[in-house]
Parts: sequence; structure tokens; C-alpha cells
Amino acid sequence: MKRTGLSLALLWGAAPLAGQGVVIAPHAVFMDARTRSGAVLLYNPNTEPVEVAISFFFGYPATDSAGIIVVRTVEHPDSTSPSAASWIQAFPRRLTVPPLERQTIRLLASPPPGLADGEYWARLVISAKGGQLPVTGVADTAKVRVGLTLEVRTIIGVFYRKGAVYTGISLSGLRTAVVGDSLAVWARLTQQGNAAYIGSAHAALVDSTGKTLAEMKAPIGVYYTMEPRYALPIGALAPGRYRLRLDLSTAREDLAPELVLPSPPVRDSVEVRVP
Amino acid sequence: MSRPRLVAVLLLGLLVPRPGLSQGVGGSVGIDANVIGPVLTITTLSNLNFGSVPKGVATTVQPTAAGAGAWQIQGSKNANVTITFVLPALLTNIQALPGSTMPVSFGATSARWNRATNNVAGATAFDPSGGTTGKLGPPANPYIYLWIGGTVTPAATAKPGVYTGTIIVTIAYL
Repeated sequence: MKRTGLSLALLWGAAPLAGQGVVIAPHAVFMDARTRSGAVLLYNPNTEPVEVAISFFFGYPATDSAGIIVVRTVEHPDSTSPSAASWIQAFPRRLTVPPLERQTIRLLASPPPGLADGEYWARLVISAKGGQLPVTGVADTAKVRVGLTLEVRTIIGVFYRKGAVYTGISLSGLRTAVVGDSLAVWARLTQQGNAAYIGSAHAALVDSTGKTLAEMKAPIGVYYTMEPRYALPIGALAPGRYRLRLDLSTAREDLAPELVLPSPPVRDSVEVRVP
Repeated sequence: MSRPRLVAVLLLGLLVPRPGLSQGVGGSVGIDANVIGPVLTITTLSNLNFGSVPKGVATTVQPTAAGAGAWQIQGSKNANVTITFVLPALLTNIQALPGSTMPVSFGATSARWNRATNNVAGATAFDPSGGTTGKLGPPANPYIYLWIGGTVTPAATAKPGVYTGTIIVTIAYL
């Protein structure tokens, strides 16, 4: 279809899209020095083909000044950065996934000789352009019509492990503040070892009897040092003294146990006073 | 069962290695063993559609309007993702001679996101140029819904035709 025809189709497709996108699995790829390979499976559940492009960059989750977790991108990582972005390749890098079919992207690592033991990181970018839509109207060339198409990019983590890899985490600076109907929680988390700390954070607010009044659980990935901010919905909490407990563990429900590097749980708590 | 969930279940079924079946070209043993766990899907539900606009008058589509662009993100329950955009500043008339363009802009509340439920009215507004961090829903609804609107400003002398551009949304799994 010509570009004009496609755009007209997009603009005059009055009905919402039936759904454009591609299913990606897994959401993190773990490779090792033995196989030096990995795979990502794409599935197109729609009735139109999806164009996909694959690329890599070096980046990792970090926190900004407000404690919001963001992906920090490093365009030119130096030689000390554990970047695998320049030596992991994807095959193919461009493809079209037909309707209701799946395609496998193979990842192949070609690490430099003499690579030290440890874990190396990259971010895999999967760009997907939606399918073509049928023309449902007739263009009136005297009018000005405007529409924007939407593309999606999905970024997932790629981990390459060589030799003995181990991880851990240190927890410090735990503090809280009541903000509206939430309890804001901050903590300083620092990764230990030569691999990222992939795990979960569990925060719970308990009263003097140990009863849990509010809690939250979230997956975390600590690559260097971060100071995330969490929020627990507490509603209208009665004045008094409470305790906030923060537990970090390498348990992850969304990853196979053999992929997660184990590390002893780390805990801390702090008193919370509600005036 | 909803369509995305059905797709996820079917895909997981496809990913289970079966004895006696080839595991892929080249017979790479161990690759498929890593392909497990929740899937990640970003589905474009609708494009951002301004329809016919009057010349010389700015036209805004709110993120709550029917013409807003919309996505559904499905992934691991309670996981955090960052949401960022690449936004166009000019739209191009694809039916006129080259150089026929129209400005498009996005404000501090042009985008919204909602955890778990497809309800734009209860969604959180944010500035698409700065992006935001979202959290997928709980096990029953591990979704994020995302909407975007914008404003186009056609000149009084704008040539008729179809003006179009592309918005790129990036979801980074943390």
C-alpha cells in the first residue's frame, strides 16, 4: 500500500483499532558464557503484519532526585562500564511478523577476549510498527484532516554472565513522611558484588501489636546505587506510633528461580509518628 | 477470558518445550529454557485522530476524548515501567507538495495513565514530553492504560489534505 493510502486508512478508520502490537517473551534475557546465546520470542496476535526492528543500548534503572525510577542511558560507556551493548547482536535485526504467527530473535554474544568474571548488561529495544488498516471512508480533498499514528518501543534487560557471579545489597537511610493519604518511604540501596541485584521490595506499616495496616510489594533491580521512593496508601491513620518495615529479597515471581542470583534477605525498620 | 490474557496463555503454551520436537534452527539447547515467565505486550488501541479541522483555528483533542491515542500495556504484575515519548513538532501534508506542514504541540496534561483499569476519567495526567513512571496492576489486572491528546494549529492558508506524523511511545521494563 502506498504511504498516502496507508495514512488515509489510518485517518478515516473511524472505529478504534482492533489492536496493534506484538507479544514479547521473556521480559528479561539471561545469557551465559557457556552458550553465549539467548532468544526473544515475538508473537503477533493481530490480523495485520507488524514490522519489527531490534537494537541495543547500555542503560540501567536509576532514580532521579524525587526517587522516581528511570532508565539511565549511557551513550558512550567507558571501558570500566559493564556494558554488553556493543558485543551482543540480534538476528534478524529487522523482520515482519505475519498475523497470528511467531518469530524468534536470536541473540549472540561475542565478548572481547579476557573479559573478567561478572555480569554485563545491555538493553534490548524492540520497535514495532502497527499493521495497516482498511479504508472505511472516502477522502474529501477540500478539507484539512489531521491524524497521528502511534508506534511502540519496548525495552527489556539483557544480562550476560561470565564465571563466578554474585550479588547483594546494602540498605541505609530508611525514612518516611506522611504525604496526604500516603506514607512516603525512602531508602538508599547499594548493589554489592559483580552482578545486579534483581529482587523484590516489601514495605509494611504495622501497629504496636504487629498488625499490618498497609503494605506494598514491588520488583526492583539495583545496578549501582539508587534511592527509590515508595508510597503506601494509609488513608486516615489514627495519631500514634507505628513501625515501617522494609524487606529486600531476591525472590521474584516473574523470573525462574534458576535465573535469579540468590542473596540473603536484608531488612530494616523505622518508627513512624502520626501526630 | 480477555483477549490479551488468552493470548498470553496461548503463547506460554507455545513456549513450553516438548520432548521429541525440534527446539529451533541450529538445535540451540537451553535457549528455550530461558523463555518463560510473563509476557510483555504493548497494544495500540487507537491512533490520535483530530479528524477534520478548521483552518486558522487551533484544535485540541484531550486525552479523555474519543479521538485520543491509546495503548494497553500488559506485563508482570506490580512491575514498574518507565513511559517516554518521541513527539513530533510538525505534521506533514502527504497530499500536497513538500513543505506543507502544520504545528502540533503537547501540554503538561496531554497524557494520562491508569493502573489496571481502562478508565481514562480516573487516570493520572502527566506531561508526555517528560514521561513518567507507571506501575502495572495487580495479578487480576496486570495492565497499564495510556492515553495521549494534543493540539494542532493549522494556518489560515493551510493547504487541504491529510496531515500526519508519528508518536513513538517507549516502555522500559525496570
